[in-house]
Amino acid sequence: MFAYYLQLGLRSLRRNPALTALMVMAIGFGVAASMITYSVFRAVSGNPIPGKSAQLFTPQVDGWGPQQNLKGEPAEALAYIDAMALMRAHEAKRQTLLYPVQLSVMPGGNRDLPLNANGYAVTADFFTMFEVPFRFGSGWSAQDDDARASAVVISGELNRKLFGGANSVGRTFNLGGHDYHVVGVTSHWNPRPRFYDLFSTSGFADEPDIYMVFNRALDLQMRSGGRNSCRGSITYTSWQGYLQSNCVWITPWVELDSAAEVAAYRRFLTNYAADQQRAGRFGWAANVRLRDVMQWLEYEHVVPPESRISLAVALGFFLICLVNTIGLLLAKFMRRAGEIGVRRALGATRREIYTQYLVEAATVGLAGGVLGLLLTAAGVSGVGILFQPEIARLARLDLSLVGLTFVVAIIATVLAAFYPAWRAAHVQPAWQLKSS
Amino acid sequence: MLKMTHLSKVYRTEVVETYALRDFNIDVKEGEFVAVTGPSGSGKTTFLTIAGLLETFTGGEYHLDGVEVSNLNDNARSKIRNEKIGFIFQAFNLIPDLNVFDNIEVPLRYRGMKSAERKQRIMDSLERVGLASRAKHYPAELSGGQQQRVAIARALAGSPRLLLADEPTGNLDTQMARGVMELLEEIHRDGATIVMVTHDPELAARAQRNVHIIDGQVVDLAEEPRFHAVKAGNRE
Amino acid sequence: MNFQVRPILTALRQHKAGTLLIALQIALTLAIVCNALFIIHQRLGNLSASSGVDEANVFVITNMWADMGQSTSQVDAQVRADLIALRQLPAVRDATPASGYPLRGGGWDNFVTMTPEQVKPTTDAAVYTGDEHFIDTLGLNLVAGRNFRPDEVMVMGTQEAVTPPTVIVSKVLADRLFPDGDALGKSFYAMGATPTTIVGIVDPLHRQGVDSWSNGYAGQALIWPLRADDSRGVFYIVRARPGQLADAMREAPKALYAQNRLRIIDSKDGIQDYATIRHKVYDRDRGMAILMGIISVVLLAITAAGIVGLTSFWVGQRRKQIGVRRALGARQRDILAYFLTENFLISVSGTVLGIVLGFAFNLWTVTRFAMDRMSLAYVGAGVLVLVLLGQAATLAPALRASRVSPVEATRSV
Repeated sequence: MFAYYLQLGLRSLRRNPALTALMVMAIGFGVAASMITYSVFRAVSGNPIPGKSAQLFTPQVDGWGPQQNLKGEPAEALAYIDAMALMRAHEAKRQTLLYPVQLSVMPGGNRDLPLNANGYAVTADFFTMFEVPFRFGSGWSAQDDDARASAVVISGELNRKLFGGANSVGRTFNLGGHDYHVVGVTSHWNPRPRFYDLFSTSGFADEPDIYMVFNRALDLQMRSGGRNSCRGSITYTSWQGYLQSNCVWITPWVELDSAAEVAAYRRFLTNYAADQQRAGRFGWAANVRLRDVMQWLEYEHVVPPESRISLAVALGFFLICLVNTIGLLLAKFMRRAGEIGVRRALGATRREIYTQYLVEAATVGLAGGVLGLLLTAAGVSGVGILFQPEIARLARLDLSLVGLTFVVAIIATVLAAFYPAWRAAHVQPAWQLKSS
Repeated sequence: MLKMTHLSKVYRTEVVETYALRDFNIDVKEGEFVAVTGPSGSGKTTFLTIAGLLETFTGGEYHLDGVEVSNLNDNARSKIRNEKIGFIFQAFNLIPDLNVFDNIEVPLRYRGMKSAERKQRIMDSLERVGLASRAKHYPAELSGGQQQRVAIARALAGSPRLLLADEPTGNLDTQMARGVMELLEEIHRDGATIVMVTHDPELAARAQRNVHIIDGQVVDLAEEPRFHAVKAGNRE
Repeated sequence: MNFQVRPILTALRQHKAGTLLIALQIALTLAIVCNALFIIHQRLGNLSASSGVDEANVFVITNMWADMGQSTSQVDAQVRADLIALRQLPAVRDATPASGYPLRGGGWDNFVTMTPEQVKPTTDAAVYTGDEHFIDTLGLNLVAGRNFRPDEVMVMGTQEAVTPPTVIVSKVLADRLFPDGDALGKSFYAMGATPTTIVGIVDPLHRQGVDSWSNGYAGQALIWPLRADDSRGVFYIVRARPGQLADAMREAPKALYAQNRLRIIDSKDGIQDYATIRHKVYDRDRGMAILMGIISVVLLAITAAGIVGLTSFWVGQRRKQIGVRRALGARQRDILAYFLTENFLISVSGTVLGIVLGFAFNLWTVTRFAMDRMSLAYVGAGVLVLVLLGQAATLAPALRASRVSPVEATRSV
């Protein structure tokens, strides 16, 4: 029977090509607008580290006080003093400190010009905590942290530029005037949004080239290549002065496996801040936060307002297209009230009429889905003019989006057809036949 | 075959109640050919739509083929229409989007018949109305008489026990009307029960029995012998 | 015209679903279109904001030092040498070192207080640094006071916080701090232990960022006479002679590499003219405006097509009725007026709901994203557009209806 309805539906759609085209276009445009904006939204709102997002936490300690903090919230990064105190306390199973560094690879070999190399100063746990994949070698050890070693992990991309992609573990190269030895080469690793550094990035930067030992960066007095935020009078004139200031620039992360550990760490943070108050360093009550990855993404507003607004507008647009389709289907179905009356008189049940018209609507939905898919493909590749390049690049037409486009188009159209089909199924056969 | 007792049908609007049928009684036996006549507005079309289960009624009883139908739900009524009743309308009511073959196929589809059987029945019934060569034509390409014959073929294809015809020749000229009428008589001879609504006395005269409706009530003229005589005369 | 509203309303009651659907569609369309218009207008307003820079002739070189172990005096010597080399180029009018530039997309800004003890800041200002060539290089408009003298320009090393005693501020900042218009010669504190005194006022001067959070501080900027000799790198802002921008952009990096090769000027975005800088920083705004524009246009087209479709259906359904009316003496324009009035009534009722939905959406963006409140003008414009669109879309089917022959009245099918 389904094939019969399909055949009837196609015949009917061919009957009013203009009306059919209008409905297909409405569905196509509506679903495409929704899918294009959704593809961007999906890219920016996803979980960057699904397996561990609930175990990774970034502690915040208010070192600025109620008058200067962020409307009651502590700063989004730590000052050096607090960062080092947390590190020394070692209350979490794994913990890391990080800040962005800008470096340059000095000329050498067949390169006569220096090369830009951006990355992070991190501690040993960084690689295990964030599950960084390695092509060659591995991260460094806690001993290397303590030894302030000149070890670096480089990206596959930088490895290709410097060493032609060969296993470079053990090789040495010059960064900004100092020699470093490679201990590991990562596979491509650039979680987006870049949850671990939302203080300095909007979350969608290019893959880092290099990871160096945190203590080594401090020894070289490397200032953050990212953000630095201070309060009050800035009076420091030296590196030591800078380290003692209230300027925040270091992002801490801890790994906590159970609710008990989380509670314990929260207690520790509160106690730490209270100690600082007792010691006279903070003139206010403890004000600390411990957010996990998803809470941190939410708090940092990683999803650009543009993405949410355009998704909302696109969904509204789709809704209008559906209302439009309901109206047109109603017109189309009711124009055939006579035919429905005849079919009913000849023994069609309401359900059969109902099914016939829903199948017809589904074929409209399918055609709308095809058009929507084409428009989505065009839109996703042209999304660069609508969003910033670093975000637009994330929008992709993958299999799940293709599937979603069809499913949404068909389901939405069938839903839209419920009322018109219901009206069609309730056409009174007698009235229609008498009136003729 | 078809028995209505004390049946009534009331149309209600906001202001008035109109009795379309009132204490309506009729008994059509299996194999009868009954003509229902009456002036315009007397209720004969209402009777036909209720008889064909196209409409519900307000009071009384209606037994169709021994089954009391007032309690049947919409699905059951659809099934009876599909399997036991064939309709012939004044305006033919062919579906313009479908060709002759597909039009006749409609009730068979709803009966869930296999494709081969459907085809056999469609060709048989087209053969019977003399339009086998027009299977691929669309209704708009046929004359009024041909369209009505397609409608009859559609009614016949499902081998209904009861054929309901509403002014079947009303939209046709005399010559075409005669052809349609002869076809109905032939079908009747083959055993079908036919109830035909008409206001044409000449046509009514060709039925076995006449039922006259005035103001929603029946005046049974079945025992008037001269109708049989006329009918017999025609047959010669 | 020979028509009444009441019979139309009575007739519409026979088409409840169709009427409701058109009204709903008009309502939703209005809600989205007036918000889209508002967003477009706002974003385009951002796009055309003046930076104060002579954008046609200015470009920026992002210069990073390869050797990060240099002392401040080594860096300073290199920066001075670079500037001399740049200024000597025939296509170059002037050049300045800088730690940031207008429309960079974010950068240094300081809180401003009136006294050193004040904890809660008075306001916030974008901080620019440069030498005595800064104002001429950017082409800023000095509206009061004077430029920096060469001897006022101080050196700021990598880890140093330096507060120069003199400052040039944007007029917006001057007016914010000293609303009486007597800012010149007055002092304030910008996160330093010592005050800084206003010696000049420029107007306008855009901030480095265009983020919505800084809207409250729009146009508030200060310039300090500093050579920021950061061991990591420096921006060179260069102003070409009129019409020689391309030459200057080609010559400048060559001159710099001739000075010293241990630097990085990225081949992709190491040298950018202001057209590029502006284009980049307003990516979001432009994209949003384009998206809203596309959606509005397609939406209006679909709504119009929907109205044409449904009205055509109604006309088709009522052919006989129209024929009867014509037979009873209705003129063609009476029929036309009937359908146009019918659509007008539906449109107006739809827009009432649309206004409510439109403001609801705006309220969401206000509370959720701190966007501005929509003024009534956009809603008014939206209502006008939709009512006109409805009338235009009804016209074709209504004209067809008006041409229905009175003979239709006598047809039975």
